[in-house]
Amino acid sequence: MARYGMALDYKNCINCKACEVACKEENGVLLGADKHRIWVGANAPSGEWPHLDIVSSTFMPSQCQHCEDAPCEEVCPTHATYYDENHVVRVNSDKCILCSYCMNACPYDARYVDDRTVTVDKCTFCSDTRLARGETTTACQNTCPTKVRTFGDLDDPESEISILLKTRDHFSLKSHLGTHPKLYYLT
Amino acid sequence: MRVEVSRRRFLQNTVALSVVGGSALSLGALAAESAHAGSLPETTTTKTGTGSAEIIPTLCGMCVNKCAAFARVEEGVLTKLDPNPYFPKSRNMLCPRGNSGIQTLYDPDRLKYPLIRIGERGDGRYKRVTWEEAYDAILNGTDKFKGLAQILDEEKDNRATIGYSNGEGLSKEGFEVLVGQKIGTPNYVDEISICLETTLGGYVNTIGTYGEADMNNADYIIVAGANRAEAIITPDTMDMFKRTKKRGLTMIVLDPRFTNTAAKADRWYAVNPGTDLAFVLALTYVAFDEGLYDKEFCQKYMVGYAEYKAHILSKKYTPEWAAKLTGISAKEIYRTAREFMKARSPIYYQGRRSAFSPNDFQLRRAMAIYQGLSGNLDKKGGIIYGKKIKLPPEEVNAPMYAQAQTRFDRKGIAIPADKTGSWILFRNMILEGTAPYPVRVMLMRKHNPMSGVPDTTKTEQLLRKMDLNVMIDILPSDTAMFCDVILPEASYLERTSPVASFGGLEPAIVQRKAAVKPLYECKTPEVIYKELAEKLSEPLWKNTLKYDEDVQDDTKGMKPDALKKYYKENGFDLADAWEKTVEESNKERVVKAFGEEAWKILEEKGVYYPHMEAYHKQLDPNTYEYYPEDKKNYHVKGDKIKVVANFTNLTKKGVDAMPTWHDDMAFHVPKGKFRLITGRHAQFTQSGTTNNAMLRDLTPTNYVWINSRVAAERGIKFGDLVEVRSRIGAIRLQAYPTESIAPNQTFLLHGFGGNSRGMEMAYGNGGNDARIIEDHIEPVYGAAAMHLTDVEIRRV
Repeated sequence: MARYGMALDYKNCINCKACEVACKEENGVLLGADKHRIWVGANAPSGEWPHLDIVSSTFMPSQCQHCEDAPCEEVCPTHATYYDENHVVRVNSDKCILCSYCMNACPYDARYVDDRTVTVDKCTFCSDTRLARGETTTACQNTCPTKVRTFGDLDDPESEISILLKTRDHFSLKSHLGTHPKLYYLT
Repeated sequence: MRVEVSRRRFLQNTVALSVVGGSALSLGALAAESAHAGSLPETTTTKTGTGSAEIIPTLCGMCVNKCAAFARVEEGVLTKLDPNPYFPKSRNMLCPRGNSGIQTLYDPDRLKYPLIRIGERGDGRYKRVTWEEAYDAILNGTDKFKGLAQILDEEKDNRATIGYSNGEGLSKEGFEVLVGQKIGTPNYVDEISICLETTLGGYVNTIGTYGEADMNNADYIIVAGANRAEAIITPDTMDMFKRTKKRGLTMIVLDPRFTNTAAKADRWYAVNPGTDLAFVLALTYVAFDEGLYDKEFCQKYMVGYAEYKAHILSKKYTPEWAAKLTGISAKEIYRTAREFMKARSPIYYQGRRSAFSPNDFQLRRAMAIYQGLSGNLDKKGGIIYGKKIKLPPEEVNAPMYAQAQTRFDRKGIAIPADKTGSWILFRNMILEGTAPYPVRVMLMRKHNPMSGVPDTTKTEQLLRKMDLNVMIDILPSDTAMFCDVILPEASYLERTSPVASFGGLEPAIVQRKAAVKPLYECKTPEVIYKELAEKLSEPLWKNTLKYDEDVQDDTKGMKPDALKKYYKENGFDLADAWEKTVEESNKERVVKAFGEEAWKILEEKGVYYPHMEAYHKQLDPNTYEYYPEDKKNYHVKGDKIKVVANFTNLTKKGVDAMPTWHDDMAFHVPKGKFRLITGRHAQFTQSGTTNNAMLRDLTPTNYVWINSRVAAERGIKFGDLVEVRSRIGAIRLQAYPTESIAPNQTFLLHGFGGNSRGMEMAYGNGGNDARIIEDHIEPVYGAAAMHLTDVEIRRV
């Protein structure tokens, strides 16, 4: 029993997409540019060459935010989307009927369709792969060249993530929606 | 383990590497023939399991960098590559290419068995043969091509009639041993003369090393012409970007393009291509003019300090002068110059890339001297020299061939590289008929000059001119399609490689172990070298006996036994270099140098350095310590440090003794044209990775960048097909209008535009820049100068 979350030192991100590949290989996510559980958002710099605005060009790693109040869970008619014992938002593909309500409800666009099971798929924090083997990092954290990510138990005051959140400023994405994401972007 | 159906399976019917004579075998059928139990995944991803798995240390082979990894193997199938936290160089990380190595291993387009050409060169018609038949074809030819025995007979044992090439990698040395030392030709060309030769040469000749930039402790860095966010080099990339963006490391980026590295900078200067030298000279001017440099250090360690100072000041390399050339304002140059010299630990980053302009050697010299002016060398936060852990050398008994002539690709070159030559000059002299003897054979391994060497048309002419071309590789590259015999090699994940030593601040030795057995009929490079050597050895020895007067004198009247002894003792037994397997040789060398315990650690962890067990610590989930602070090799040179500002010997070779600007170095593009610049992307290395299904998802093709205002004027929109034409050729690819590039420049990613139908994903995808980059060389080493081509762009 834990309450898993992730802190992202997003200024380290160089948009190399190692996380995306590691996630796909670890979790058997289908190949295909539109099939991914995690991704890096990038803004082209604003301005005209050579007067480009460096600050406008940021890289923002993103994925399922594992909200405490997840709209996807609320709208799911079959209870396929659920919170597991570690507060990870999961999808039970046996129950999923691909009504796609969750995909529309998710403010973070974190869900996609797995063509093999014809159900909705999303980030699991590597619950059924790495965590199930007793490992303590997700594939994306482990592989990251610039070490953007720190995964851990928010309920454990000694965990690295708890310490980071106590000592570093941070924000959540679309916090005004009241979804209470468990992904924290460090500033 | 579930084997998933992927969209690649539906594309399989389009695979067009014709295999005549063999039945059209599917991958599945071949897999059943291979040593593996169970089924192999096609190009797909395989979810890792929770049951038992073998964890095998490997060393990434997706680019030149060599990051350490652990392969997870479940039921004989490699399911995941994870970073190895024991290697100080790669610091527990794997980039996207490293992670997608699985897709290269299981690429359905892999070369699976030896092939002999039965069609015409380039048409892709091959016959599947046994290894013995392939070796025999190399020696004796077929009705389509001549073999080595006949060619060397006709050339009277002039071994130099054989040219050979190899891309970078841990088994490269073995190929050099086989073809260069044992078979005995000097005509080797490799990636260095189309890559960082001038960078290495400039630095080594100036400060005695290329060095390592201590990114963890520097506080100011100028990154000019290096794109570390997209051309990932460890540990530089990981270290630097944790501290940019006002977190301890001020970063100034010079690049004609706005790259991902520029996006992480404090300031980005869109320097005109080829004018970095003017920028460095102006920084140097400000340092001397305002007395902003480490005078004590320079007086002590700089050779030609006074002359260099006088040279820079008298030439009036002012920021105002440089502004006109570089496009960077004088104000910004002053600002950077002053900030740099006032910083605690400033680094003018060495970078590593191909020569872009003919002045690249002098640019590197100027950069290294400028670093010397700061005094920030051989110390924490500076460019450090580091140490290397020595491994016992491997002796080669190399025979002498009296008939073998010397290499010729040195016309007009100041400091020709004896070992690696100049690809462009080598090729062009053969084509122009100025080579002093016929070069008739190309033996190639893991090298694709059709994509890597500027002017593909000429490279194709070279390959067509040869009597025999042989390729050892894992994929049917564009170059392989012009080869007569193709030998399928085990990929880096299927082979144990010779142990390697990586020096620097935190040195270590590493060993790549085979994660899985060679797939299909592939063999490891060292096995191929050995078997080929065994096949060629005696027939070629007979040729030597026939023509080599030195050998004839030595062996006159010898009885068969004595002759055999002579053959063995003098190294003519070509296979004697591979008496031990790689595994045996690795063990022997490591145990000899460091003992049994070290070998055990290396076998298990893939990495070893003295005191590793005591030194190596995990500090937090993301951070490891490899050496304690006081054991890192920050300072190793002491008073032996030397910065050669005035290199007088160079004048004898017609090279400026001190970096000097010449008017013909100025940047100019004719109206309506674009200067073509080339570069990298984090998701691709070179042509070798363009067939990787995972990477292709991330970067589907290469686009040609056009300034968006210029594109609008010409009615070019995103995705429009355009023709990019230079003096030597034209390619077609899709347009990408962007403000990240200047109105008079254009950029496209290197490595795309494959022309081999055997590489399904790479074939016809995007444009091959080597088809349009003109084959200019710089004058010091004869290295390719890549940024001198102007192109026209039109919508088609």
